[in-house]
Amino acid sequence: MNLVFLLEERSAKFLLEILLPKILPSGTTYQLIAHDGKQDLAKSIPRKLTAWNTPETKFVVLHDQDSNDCIALKANLRAMCKNSDKEVLIRIACRELESWYFGDLHAVSCAYGRDLTPLTLKSKYRNPDKIGNPKQELRKLVPEYEQIAGAKTIGPYMDLLNNTSTSFNVFLKGVQQLIAN
Amino acid sequence: MKIESLEIKNYKVFKSVKVNNIPNMAVFLGKNGSGKSTFFDVFGFLHDCLISNVKIAITKRGGFAEVRSREAQGDISFKIQFRPNDDEPLITYEISIDQNSKGQVYVRSEVLRMRRGQHGAPWKILDFANGEGTAAEGELKTYEDVQLATRKPQKLESADILAIKGLGQFKDFVAVNQFRKLIEDWYVADFKIDYARDRQDVTFSEQLSKVGDNLAAVTKYLHDNYPERFADILKKMRERVPGVQDVQAKVTEDGYIVLKFQDGKFKNPFSAKFVSDGTIKMFTYLVLLNDPEQHVLLCIEEPENQLYPELLAELAEEFRQYSRKGQVFVSTHSPDFLNAVELDEIYVLTKRGGYTTIEKASDNPIAKSLYLAGDKPGTLWREGLLEGDTL
Repeated sequence: MNLVFLLEERSAKFLLEILLPKILPSGTTYQLIAHDGKQDLAKSIPRKLTAWNTPETKFVVLHDQDSNDCIALKANLRAMCKNSDKEVLIRIACRELESWYFGDLHAVSCAYGRDLTPLTLKSKYRNPDKIGNPKQELRKLVPEYEQIAGAKTIGPYMDLLNNTSTSFNVFLKGVQQLIAN
Repeated sequence: MKIESLEIKNYKVFKSVKVNNIPNMAVFLGKNGSGKSTFFDVFGFLHDCLISNVKIAITKRGGFAEVRSREAQGDISFKIQFRPNDDEPLITYEISIDQNSKGQVYVRSEVLRMRRGQHGAPWKILDFANGEGTAAEGELKTYEDVQLATRKPQKLESADILAIKGLGQFKDFVAVNQFRKLIEDWYVADFKIDYARDRQDVTFSEQLSKVGDNLAAVTKYLHDNYPERFADILKKMRERVPGVQDVQAKVTEDGYIVLKFQDGKFKNPFSAKFVSDGTIKMFTYLVLLNDPEQHVLLCIEEPENQLYPELLAELAEEFRQYSRKGQVFVSTHSPDFLNAVELDEIYVLTKRGGYTTIEKASDNPIAKSLYLAGDKPGTLWREGLLEGDTL
């Protein structure tokens, strides 16, 4: 079984490079394809689905919600897949990848050498998927945070079972189910 | 120490240019020949004016007629607004240079002023023209000292040196000495990797040259004198460039110094000759960014040469991290580098009718709304949407 992940940008690629080996059964091959932002990803999806013909390949599209309506966004993305009969899992990071880090402040604490775990209880961060501008918020807590470097340093410390971000858990579950079927 | 805005008049292709709201890391984008190198040369010019004098700075660049913008009549002038620290006043340095009837180049006016708060009237710290003027006098350390000091008439040794160099009383005053440091230590990086590949003669080098040809010597210097910093560089190197475990500068028996890169998988290290361009270039930038003598302003010429897209994104992050302590200006024409940068950080240089204009990319409403909708700056640049013509 081969999984092809279509991603908005590079930091997601680096994060998944670290996390996927922990959840995928051995023998699963995967490719992580980073694009240059939303429009680039949107143009790429129909092409990839049509032309990527390796047998037993399933696709995962991971998109940031940003300021869009989650349901409408998912419907839009699903529409891009309509001309292909390939199996595509669409998952949204609510609102950005950084929400997933807020879901595991212990990992962030280990990565940057300071204890941010007390903030988990703060009303602003209790529900990571509801944080308005997670990247900005994270930069406030960790001024030296940069996207690619952050994915590489936070990723290894992430606990896949106890993240408080719903979209993160839904993503993981979706991928695991995709392989199981 | 941060430059917040810059105005240029009649300097080569910059007839009249204002660059405002400059962030810690600013990226200057333009096609070939648009004036990016000339923009950095503004600092090179001020550097020469300060270290030597305006006559030499102008002569080095081909003479007054060459340096002053074509068909311009007025003097060459610069206005730099900077803030030594977040909670300190905004300081304005203005200088204009002209040529007298005898063809001699001189400083027509040079004014340094400071402004406390948003609405206070500015205090003149010094005000000179043609080698004479007034300046605050006495022991000047703090802003209060300067504000309370009397202004005394003074004369410089000549009309072609800068008052900020010629006046001794300011050597302890932070606003002046930080600005002097910015201009004196100004550094432009234009690395040519091939020079770093060959073995080099053993020399003592603390700082990288503009083209980076003394990389091996600087590596050895850092390794021998700043082991913690060197360990940080290696750590970053391992994170950013997979496969590199260690870098060493080895002195050979016949008196040369060579760089060796250790791949984690192989027992023997590779000589720099056999290592990819990207690896050496990334290492050079990491050495630059970890210089113990921190630069107040770093100018980086087109980092995209010889670096593949993924590495460019990582390099952009390294520059941004550095810019939290020292300001970084980067010139580029690479869509891949731009994709790793925020729209607010970008200034577009466009040459029109022989002169270059500089516009903030986020002031372009179309570019801004496309950016907010998810288009990356590199894509917008490729589509021609960042240039001033779309306004």
